[in-house]
Amino acid sequence: MIWTLWKKEVDSYYSSPLAYVLIGLFSLITGIIFFNLLVTYSDGIAAIPQNMTEPISFVEEVVLRLFSNINFLFLFFVPLITMRLFSEERKAETLDLYWMSPVSDWQLVLAKGLAALTLILSMLLMTVIYPLIIFGVGVRDFTLLGSAYLGVGLNACAYISLGLFCSSLSNNQIIAGLLSILSIMFLWMITWGGHLNSNYLVAEVFTYIGITSHFERTLRGLLGTQDLIYYATFIFTFGFLTVKSLGRRNW
Amino acid sequence: MDKILVVDNITKEYPGRTAVSQVSFEVMKGSVHGFLGPNGAGKSTTMKMIAGLLPPTSGKITFMGENLTTESHSLKNKLGLLPENPPLYFDMTVEKYLGFVAKLHGVTNVKSNVEKVLTSLSLTDVSKRLIGNLSKGYKQRVGLAQALVYDAPFIILDEPSNGLDPEAVVELRVIIRKLALEKTVLFSSHILSEVEQVCDHITIIHQGKIRASGDIQEIHRKFRQGFVVKIGMAPGDVLPDLNSIGKYEITHRHSLGHEDQYHVCFENERDCRAELGKMLVSSGVRLLTLQAESPELEELFLHMTEKKK
Repeated sequence: MIWTLWKKEVDSYYSSPLAYVLIGLFSLITGIIFFNLLVTYSDGIAAIPQNMTEPISFVEEVVLRLFSNINFLFLFFVPLITMRLFSEERKAETLDLYWMSPVSDWQLVLAKGLAALTLILSMLLMTVIYPLIIFGVGVRDFTLLGSAYLGVGLNACAYISLGLFCSSLSNNQIIAGLLSILSIMFLWMITWGGHLNSNYLVAEVFTYIGITSHFERTLRGLLGTQDLIYYATFIFTFGFLTVKSLGRRNW
Repeated sequence: MDKILVVDNITKEYPGRTAVSQVSFEVMKGSVHGFLGPNGAGKSTTMKMIAGLLPPTSGKITFMGENLTTESHSLKNKLGLLPENPPLYFDMTVEKYLGFVAKLHGVTNVKSNVEKVLTSLSLTDVSKRLIGNLSKGYKQRVGLAQALVYDAPFIILDEPSNGLDPEAVVELRVIIRKLALEKTVLFSSHILSEVEQVCDHITIIHQGKIRASGDIQEIHRKFRQGFVVKIGMAPGDVLPDLNSIGKYEITHRHSLGHEDQYHVCFENERDCRAELGKMLVSSGVRLLTLQAESPELEELFLHMTEKKK
């Protein structure tokens, strides 16, 4: 059943220009960022004094920065993808179709989430070309590439679950999209709040609740159990809230 | 006939408003049941509760012997619903959309079910077209196809002729009659003539409450009040006082040019035509028509919905 629902959603994405516009725009922006990071890196290499022993890390300066920027781009791209998922159906009253069928709300939420993830992954697939270019010119330092993809992938999953929830709250796509953007920004700000707080315990709690610290650790290949638990809890909680929000019809 | 649906005392309350109050009626297996009421009477709310889309605040719905709730997954393949706004995806072709709905309901032979429904609703010509590009009549038909594609034995149609042109309304009526040969149909409308033409049973709802329910003929008999007679006279003649025959009321009067017609309703149900004819002729009226009339369902409906206001 999830396969049928997922296929319908993916078909719907790729039969409209939106998916191609988003993929194109994402590739263009990441391309510009990558080019700039490379130029900055090569300028930095050229400016190193002869006696300096500590080399400038390619992974640190290019790979990790590129993926941090991709995470920033997701602030806009994920809500653009998720905002229509439920609000459009609410407005067109097409959710009746699922509620008249034996499909459960969980299956529907999961299928829509996976379909959004498919589009995000196809956007990320376009970025594979950058490591290939670098590889082609002889740079072999790709130690953290896998964990970097995992980091943005997990963040995308978290943003999608949040976006789905926001989309289920309103039948206005714009409101759903803005709500998603603000919620993701809030997630980032919680971590900053942690950094600014002088109370150790409060700072730790804030840092754990915010997504940034978990992303940073995953990005650097330091993904631990606590991060996995964080992402799993986050995705499940917003999935659960989305199911509950859809169940409002029963009130 | 067996009862396929029993609606028992259901009430739906929203904050500060009762949409439907203590509604009870039954639908017989194999019948075409009309659910009639003016706009805002609570028809769609009741339909949604019967379709398992909305839970009643109180009361019980029994469908095919089982208690129906919003969680009755086993019953969902047995109910087909065409809501007031058909749930259509405008970016899908008719064929793909119907295939998708069939799969949602776990139909094993999707292709053959889709072909069957496309043929029976004359949608084959537009099967490859995007739903968004179809006319309103065709969209409505695709909406109906969606309710039929998984072969549910009970079909609920909520105001199916809303916004259709007269030709499409006639086509839809033919389709509903064909459907009635093999399925039970519950069909809501605010247009009485439409219900009268296709239904054998009706339920009349007004302001969230049931006013009457049952066989159309029985309702006619039950609510028939007095004896209605049509009197046609030559133009210029005046209808004399008829109180000597019984208490009466003129319900309708119009001129056909060559004949002035009156619909007179006597309080007493007794057929008084012989007496009336004699009396009219003796009073010098040039009598052209004298005919007993059964009260139109339309009059009955207006009478029932207005009286309770």
